[in-house]
Amino acid sequence: MQPDTENIAMDTRKSFWLLSAALVAIGFGTFAYGIASGHPERAWQAYLINFLLWSAIAQGAVLFSALMTTTRARWSGPLSGLSEAFAGFFPVSFILFLVLFFGSSHVFPWSHGQDLHGKEIWLNVPFVFTRNFVGLLLLYGFGFTYLYYAMLQKEISPDGSGPIRSIFNRLQQNRPQDPEKIKKRKGLFGILYLLAFALVLSLIGYDLVMAMDPHWISTLFGAYTFVKAIYIGLGGLIILAAVMHLNPRTDFRLSDSHFHDIGKLFFAFCLVWADFFYVQLVVIWYGNIPEETAYVIERTMMVPWRYLAWVTFAVSFVLPFFILLNRKIKTMPQFMLVICSVVIIGIWLEHLLLIGPPLSHATLQLPLGISDALISLGFLGLMLASLRFAFTQFPELAHAEKREVR
Amino acid sequence: MATKYVMGLFKREDQAVAAIGELKASSWPLHRTHSPIPSHKISDALGLKDSRVGWFTLCGGILGFITGFALAIFTSLRWELIVSGKPVVAVVPFIIVGFEFTILFAIFGNLIGMLVLSRLPRMENLEHYDPRCSGEHFGILSSSSDEDREGLLALFARNGGEARVFE
Repeated sequence: MQPDTENIAMDTRKSFWLLSAALVAIGFGTFAYGIASGHPERAWQAYLINFLLWSAIAQGAVLFSALMTTTRARWSGPLSGLSEAFAGFFPVSFILFLVLFFGSSHVFPWSHGQDLHGKEIWLNVPFVFTRNFVGLLLLYGFGFTYLYYAMLQKEISPDGSGPIRSIFNRLQQNRPQDPEKIKKRKGLFGILYLLAFALVLSLIGYDLVMAMDPHWISTLFGAYTFVKAIYIGLGGLIILAAVMHLNPRTDFRLSDSHFHDIGKLFFAFCLVWADFFYVQLVVIWYGNIPEETAYVIERTMMVPWRYLAWVTFAVSFVLPFFILLNRKIKTMPQFMLVICSVVIIGIWLEHLLLIGPPLSHATLQLPLGISDALISLGFLGLMLASLRFAFTQFPELAHAEKREVR
Repeated sequence: MATKYVMGLFKREDQAVAAIGELKASSWPLHRTHSPIPSHKISDALGLKDSRVGWFTLCGGILGFITGFALAIFTSLRWELIVSGKPVVAVVPFIIVGFEFTILFAIFGNLIGMLVLSRLPRMENLEHYDPRCSGEHFGILSSSSDEDREGLLALFARNGGEARVFE
C-alpha cells in the first residue's frame, strides 16, 4: 500500500503545481494581452489592485504571528505556524512591486505633468519608487529575520532538502543554540516587524493609493491602510486554516475554540476597519472643505462609483458584522471560508473604489470586467504557489508546535 | 415521618461533581448547589443550559441604538438652527450618539439580565444554609424522609464530604 499512497501524494502535488501554474499563466496572459491591446491602463489598474491586496494579505497574516509573540499570547497554537507560511509571498510581492515601475506612467496619474502645487518634491517617480522600495525591503527583511528566529525556536531537525531549507540548515548549524537569546531576538524582531508594518503600509497607502488624487489628503489614510491589511490578513489566515482543516489529506486539525478565537479577532478587525473609515468620513463631513469632500462625493454620490461604494460597504462590513455576531458560525470552518472570501472580494472592490476614479475620468461605466477577474486569478495562483512552497520547505509550519520554548 | 433538608459539604471540586452525579441518578432531590468558585465542571454536572443573559444584552443594544438616534434627532428638532450649512437632522454625526448609546444600553441590559436571572438582590437570608459555603466549601442541598436518610448521608460520606442535617 505504501508506494500507492506515495504515488497519490505525488500526483496531487503535481496537479497542485499545475493548477497554480495554470492560474498564473491565465492571469499574466490576460495582463500581457491587456498591455498589448488598446487599454493598458485597465491592465495596470487590475495589477496595482491585486499587488496591494495580496501583499496586504501576506503582510497582515505574518503580522498575526509577530503580534502573538509580542503580546506573549499562547492561544494561537498551530495558527502561528500557518501565518508564518504567508511569508512565502514576500519575495513575490517584492518582485511584483518592481514590475510596477514599468507601468509608472499608468499607475501614477500625477506624473503626467499636472501642477502639483509644490508637492513635486514629494511626488516624483524616482523618489516615490525609492522610498517604497526601501520600505518594503525593511519590512520584508524584518519579517524574514523574525521568521528565522521563530524557526530556530521551534528547534526543527536540521535535515530536509530544498533551496531555502538547506540555507536555513547551514545557518542553524553555524549558530550557537542559546534558547534565551533566540527568544529575545525573536521578540525584538517581532516588534520591529510590527513597527515597520505600521510605517511601511502607511507609506504605501499614502503613495500608491492616496496620491492617485494628488490634491486630496486624509491624515488617517495610512492607519486606515494598515488596519485594512490586518483585517484581510486575518481573513486569509482563516481561509488557509479552514482549507487545511477540511482537507482530509493533511493532518492539520484545529479545535472549535481556535476557530472561535481567530473568528473573534477577525470580527474585531471588521469593526476597527469600519471605524477607521468612519473616522475619516466624519472629519471630512464636518470640515466641509471642497478639496476634501470632492473625493468622497465622487465615490459615494456619482454614477457609477456610488453603486460600488454601497456594495463594498455591505460586503465588507454590514454582512460580516451581522453574521459574525453569531458564535456558532465562527466555529464552522466552511462558513468562515465563505465569509472571509467574500470580505476579501469586498476589499478588492474597495481598492477599485479608491484607485478607479483617477484612472478613468468621467466614466459612466464601472471599469470592471472579466479581465480583472482573470488577472486576479493569476495573483491567486502566485499566492497558492508561494504558500505551497513555504510548506514544502518547512513542513513543520503545518503541525502543532510540539515543543514550545518559553 | 418528617422530611428534613440535608446538606453535603465538600472541600474539593471533583468530590462535589461526583456527589452531584450520584444524587441526580438517585431518587433524592437536588435543591441547590453552592460553589466558592465559578466552575464549568459543576455546571456541566448539573446539566445547566447556556445562560440567557446574552439576549438581554442584545435587546439593550438594539434599544440603545434606537434611543441614541431618537435623542439626537429630537434635541436637534427642538432647536431648529442650521449651523454651518449642515442639515438639522444629520445622519453622519448622529452615528456617534447611536453607537455610544448602543454600548451603554447593552451594558445596562447585561447587568439587568444578570440580576433578573440570578434573582438578585435577595433581601432575606437563605433557608437551610451553612456559612461554610461562604468560605471554602462546596455545598449540595438535598432532602430526605426519615427512613432513607441513612442512604443519603452515606452518599455524601462516600464522596468524601460531611453531611449536615437541618432540624
